[in-house]
Amino acid sequence: MTKRYKSFIRYFFFIVGLLFSTIAFSQNEFIIKFVHTANGKRIIQNDSIYYTPGGEPYTISKLKYYVSNLDMNTARKSCFLIDAFGIDSFTVRPQIGLYAFLSFLLGVDSARNVSGAQDGALDPLNDMFWTWNSGYVMFKLEGNSDSSLADLHRIEHHIGGFAGTNYTMRRINLSLPKKMHANTGRHVITVEMNLDNYWRSVNNISISETPVIVTAGALAKRSADNFPQMFTIKSVE
Amino acid sequence: MKTRITISLFAFVALAVFLIGAAKNDGYGSFKPKPLKLEIPKGWPKPTNNIFVNNKLTEEGFQLGRKLFYDGNLSSDGTTSCGSCHQQFAAFSTYDHDLSHGVNNTFTDRNAPALFNLAWSPLYHWDGGVNNIEVQPLNPITAKNEMGETLPNVLSKLKADTSYSRLFKAAFGDAAITSQRLLKALAQFTGSLVSSNSRYDKWKKGELKFNPIEEAGYDIYKTNCAVCHAEPLFTDYGFRNNGLSLNRFADIGRQKITGLASDSLKFKVPSLRNVQYSFPYMHDGRFNSLEAVLNYYISGIDHDQPMLDPILKKPIVLTEKQKQQLKYFLYTLTDTAFTKSKRFAPGQ
Ligand code: HEC
Ligand code: HEC
Repeated sequence: MTKRYKSFIRYFFFIVGLLFSTIAFSQNEFIIKFVHTANGKRIIQNDSIYYTPGGEPYTISKLKYYVSNLDMNTARKSCFLIDAFGIDSFTVRPQIGLYAFLSFLLGVDSARNVSGAQDGALDPLNDMFWTWNSGYVMFKLEGNSDSSLADLHRIEHHIGGFAGTNYTMRRINLSLPKKMHANTGRHVITVEMNLDNYWRSVNNISISETPVIVTAGALAKRSADNFPQMFTIKSVE
Repeated sequence: MKTRITISLFAFVALAVFLIGAAKNDGYGSFKPKPLKLEIPKGWPKPTNNIFVNNKLTEEGFQLGRKLFYDGNLSSDGTTSCGSCHQQFAAFSTYDHDLSHGVNNTFTDRNAPALFNLAWSPLYHWDGGVNNIEVQPLNPITAKNEMGETLPNVLSKLKADTSYSRLFKAAFGDAAITSQRLLKALAQFTGSLVSSNSRYDKWKKGELKFNPIEEAGYDIYKTNCAVCHAEPLFTDYGFRNNGLSLNRFADIGRQKITGLASDSLKFKVPSLRNVQYSFPYMHDGRFNSLEAVLNYYISGIDHDQPMLDPILKKPIVLTEKQKQQLKYFLYTLTDTAFTKSKRFAPGQ
């Protein structure tokens, strides 16, 4: 064997080794899981009645929203669709380091509201895209309420709008109860979304006054202003 | 020694190529789409937003888009394709219809605009509510009074139609049929509809002479119409209020999108190209002829309309003769090479 051949072999194994070790190291990941509560209980689809802080009864048939642009994610621009009654978690690969905050955008950033046909979480098949006034619905809550004067006592809150002053995306910054080390292994961050604060926190939103919000504008913005109050860290492990 | 390494390396590469080739060989051949370029006619501005940056224009993508455009299966009952409302001989508007027919005996509540030079348009629809040509088809596909279908249904019908898997593969590299690919292919077809071969264009290039009537008409156009219907596209793609009264659908136009009272009754300025074929006119097709449009500009404008465009506050005064001259000039904007182009017609 020539010297050149040997060094080639050595180089080859070095590269293979490097590849495997990066794969092994990149096992390092955070699972972000969302749990959804109202009146202090985990929400159940359709069959359970909850009360807004204003005393209006309601049921929930749909709760979906976008979580994107996580500070800690190496693929920073990634976008995830959370469905309270479906897939309610996702995995990110943080850069190696120490994390004191979980910071994400509730919604889809402006650029991706004007970027045409997309796939994955942003596929229009997910029924989170407005066609007549192009743009994503950032947050969708549907259900029923005796307080609703809309057809069939419906609640339809489709909160969207990204342009100019109508933007409804909100940055959510949550400090973690303990600093988390992203180097190896898998960590789970559980985030609680409390619907009580959707109805009443920064703004007071009443079902009887606004059972249906399906366009961008002042009403949607009032709802969006409550987004940051809805989220807290429930646990990290 | 050296040769042995070379041979083993060669064998390794050959094996890899073979394996990759075998994996890809699914009977449809290899993926080599033919790239196309959107031609920008001489003297025209560059398109404002390059619609083919994230949607590589290829012959295969265009052909798939063309087939989809003329496929009634995109509608709930199989009857209504994009092409039923956007007819080529009418420059892709609906010929002689103020409103178009959707599925189940419905009517649209706006006039189907002619489709061409869409790559230059920053926004779509009469109110500019659509911000990207790729997402535009979601409107007609899902509207109850257009194609009345759902996106999942369209996709499953396309998947069931075996002729499509080959076309999707040719256009995108594998046979997967997704909403993104459907929309991108449609945009490759609609975005390629360029109309730039009218008598006016030939006159600009010095290939022919206008007769005195057309020349006089051009001057009248320059004086009265050219700010909004600006050369060379014959629209400035702005949203303007040309004084039309509110229609029976209470269509407030741009205000519906922006929520701004200052956008009341503003509509996208349509191009005057091919206007000979795109009647009836305006967002609701309220005028049947160019004669009626000109009469409107001369004596029909509602000057009390608060958001009336300032340019139109000054009355347009034209004699009968000047009206005829202007009309003859507008006819020079007709592009029959476009309305008869086989490339844009349904395939065989
Ligand atoms: C039932 C009739 C009908 C069908 C079917 C239809 N359209 Fe249209 N199209 C219209 C009408 C009406 C408008 C105007 C909509 C508006 O302004 O609100 C329009 C507008 C458009 C525009 C915007 C043009 C501009 O300059 O702003 C495009 C592009 C378009 N259609 C493409 C399509 C495609 C692609 C399909 C098939 C997927 C399709 N249309 C199917 C009636 C139709
Ligand atoms: C202030 C801007 C402005 C001026 C000046 C103007 N237009 Fe228009 N024009 C518009 C707008 C806006 C529309 C669409 C209105 C609507 O549908 O509500 C329009 C529509 C039209 C249409 C209908 C096209 C179609 O496909 O439906 C024709 C034809 C037309 N104009 C011709 C003219 C002529 C000829 C002149 C000059 C005498 C003129 N316009 C001057 C703004 C203008």
